[in-house]
Amino acid sequence: MAIWQILHNLFFDYTLRTVALGASALGVVSGALGAYALLRRQSLLGDAISHAALPGVVLAFLITRSKIPLALMIGAGLAGWLATLWMMSIIKNTRIKEDSALGLVLSVFFGFGLMLLTFTQRLPDARQAGLDHFLFGQAAALLVSDVISMMALGGLALLLLGLFWKEFKLLSFDQDFGASLGFPMGVLNGILTTLLVIAIVIGLQAVGVVLMSAMVVAPAAAARQWTNRLGVMVLLSSIFGAAAGVSGAVISSTAGGLSTGPTVVLCASAIVLFSLLLAPNRGLLWNWMRQQRNRRRLGMELVLLDLYHMAGQHEDPEHAHSLAALRAVNPGNAGVPASLRALERRGLARQQAPGMWQLTAEGRMEAERLSREQATP
Amino acid sequence: MAESVYAIEVTDMTVAYRDKPVLWDVDLQVPPGVLMAIVGPNGAGKTTLLRAILGLVKPAAGQVLIYGKPYAQQRRLVGYVPQRGSVDWDFPTTVLDVVCMGRYGALGWVRRPGKRERQQALEALEKVGMRSFAERQISQLSGGQQQRVFLARALAQNAQIYFMDEPFQGVDATTERAIVSLLQDLRAEGRTVVVVHHDLQTVPEYFDWVTLLNVRRIASGPVAEVFTEQNLRLTYGGRVSFLREGLSATGHPSAESERALTSAVR
Repeated sequence: MAIWQILHNLFFDYTLRTVALGASALGVVSGALGAYALLRRQSLLGDAISHAALPGVVLAFLITRSKIPLALMIGAGLAGWLATLWMMSIIKNTRIKEDSALGLVLSVFFGFGLMLLTFTQRLPDARQAGLDHFLFGQAAALLVSDVISMMALGGLALLLLGLFWKEFKLLSFDQDFGASLGFPMGVLNGILTTLLVIAIVIGLQAVGVVLMSAMVVAPAAAARQWTNRLGVMVLLSSIFGAAAGVSGAVISSTAGGLSTGPTVVLCASAIVLFSLLLAPNRGLLWNWMRQQRNRRRLGMELVLLDLYHMAGQHEDPEHAHSLAALRAVNPGNAGVPASLRALERRGLARQQAPGMWQLTAEGRMEAERLSREQATP
Repeated sequence: MAESVYAIEVTDMTVAYRDKPVLWDVDLQVPPGVLMAIVGPNGAGKTTLLRAILGLVKPAAGQVLIYGKPYAQQRRLVGYVPQRGSVDWDFPTTVLDVVCMGRYGALGWVRRPGKRERQQALEALEKVGMRSFAERQISQLSGGQQQRVFLARALAQNAQIYFMDEPFQGVDATTERAIVSLLQDLRAEGRTVVVVHHDLQTVPEYFDWVTLLNVRRIASGPVAEVFTEQNLRLTYGGRVSFLREGLSATGHPSAESERALTSAVR
C-alpha cells in the first residue's frame, strides 16, 4: 500500500481513523506519565500495574457480563491500584526489597488473571469472546466509544499533570525538600501513581497487558536522550508515544491479524534505538566521536611535544626528525603519521624531506604553551 | 517576638527505627541568631534529629516549637538544605529551576514560579557566586557547585532558621570557605543556622554554639562552655583511644583531625 493511500485512509477510513486516534491518545498519555516514572526510577511499576490489571478486566466482565469499555477500565484500574498498594505495603512492612515485591505482586495478579480468563472462556456465554485480546491488544477492535473513554480519562490525567506540574517536579527531584515546604508528598505520590494507573489502563485494550509497560518506558527513555529540560522531555515522550502508538496500530490493523501490542512495542523500540545511537550529547555515536576526537587531539599533542623535545636536544631548533625516530619515542602510538599530517594541516609542522619532519615557528609556540599547561595543572 | 523565646525548642524527641532507638529523649533549646553545629559519631542520630525536627520522620514522641509555636504553623520561617547526595543530579533541569524551588512553599499550590521568583532565585545564586551558572544543566556541576546550588535554594526561601545536613561534605576548600562566610552572614542578619557537622577540628572556628549528640543529647550550649574534653569523651566514647576510633569512623581519619582531637581533649 502506498504511503499516500495510508494517509488517505488515516483521514477517511473510519476504522483506521478510530485506531489511529485511540493509539495516539494512549501514546500521548503513557508517554507523558512514563517520563515521570522513568525519572522516579519506577518504570517497572508500570509493568506490575499493567499485568495486575488483567484480573480486574476479567472480574469486571464477570460482574457486569458486558464489555462496556468504561467498566473494564475501572476494573483494570482498581486491580492495578490494589497491586500498587499491596506492593508498597510489602516494601514498607517487610524486609523484601522493591524488585522482589514487584515480581511477587506482578506474578500473583497476572497468574490469577490468566486463571480467571481461562475459566471465563469455558463459560457458555458468547459475550466473553475477545476478552483474550487484552493479553496482546487488538487495536482494530477499537470503537469510537472506546476512543472517547480513552480520551476523556487521558485528558483528565494530562490536566492534573499540568495543574500540579510544580508539585510533581518537586516530588520527582527532591521529595524531602518538598515535604519540608509543607507539601503532602504522600498524597502527591498517590495522585501521580493513580495517573500512571490511568495511563496504563487506557492503553490495555489496544496494546495489551503484557506489553503495555513498554509504552511507559520506551518513549520516556528515548525522550531523555534528546533533552535536559523536564518540560521538553515530557512533551517529546508524548510525541514519541503517539508516534509509536499510531504507527504500530496502523501497521497491525492494515497488515491484518497482527497483534497490536508487539507491533507498537517494535515501533517504540525503533525510536529508542535511534535515540540511543544518534541523540546529541547522550547518544552512543556522539560519545564515540567525542572519544575519537579526544584521542586524535591527544595523539597529535604527544607527537608535537616529541618533536619539540627532540629538537631541543640539537643546536638547531629547525632540526628535522625521521618518522622512524618519532615512532620509536612513541611506542604504542600507531597514529604517528596521521598525527603528523594533522599537525601539517594546522601549520604546526612541515615535512622537510620525505619522512623527515620539523616544527614550524607556530608549532614551537604551541608546544611551549602545552608544556606550560602541563607544568601547571 | 519576645527576646526570651527560643528559635528552636525540642522536647522529649524520641525516634526509633523498628525497635532500635535512634534518638532518645532529646531536649534542645536554641536561642535565635546562633550558628550551631550538631556533632557526634556515625549513627548518633544527627541527620535523624534534623529530619525529625522538620517532620520528615515520624517521632515516637516529642514536640518541636519554632519561635514558641508548633512547627506546622511556622514552616515559612524554616529553610532546609538536604544532603547533596539525596537527589539525582542527572535530573533534567537547570540550576535556576532548582533554586526557584526555594520559592515553591511561598507560592503554595498550583501557582507557577514567575518573573519575581526567578529574580529572587538569581539573587540567591549571586550570593553563592553561581549567577553565571543559572542556565546550566545540573548534571554539569561539580560537587562544590551542587552544594552551592542547594544553599542558594535555601537562601531563596528567605527563612529565619536554616537546617543544613552536612553542607561541607565532599566540597573543595574554596567552597568550604565560601559556605562558612555565607553562614556567618546569615547569623549576622539575626538568622539561626543549625548544621550537621563532621569535622570536630573546625567546630570552634566556624560555630558559636554546639550540640553534642550520641542517641541522647550529651551537651548543648556555647562552644566555649560545652565543647570540652569531658563532653567529647562522653560523646565519642570513654578513652582517648576510643576517641580516635570515633573520629576515624566519622570519615576524617586524617592526622590533622587527630591532632585537633587530642588538643580538644587536652
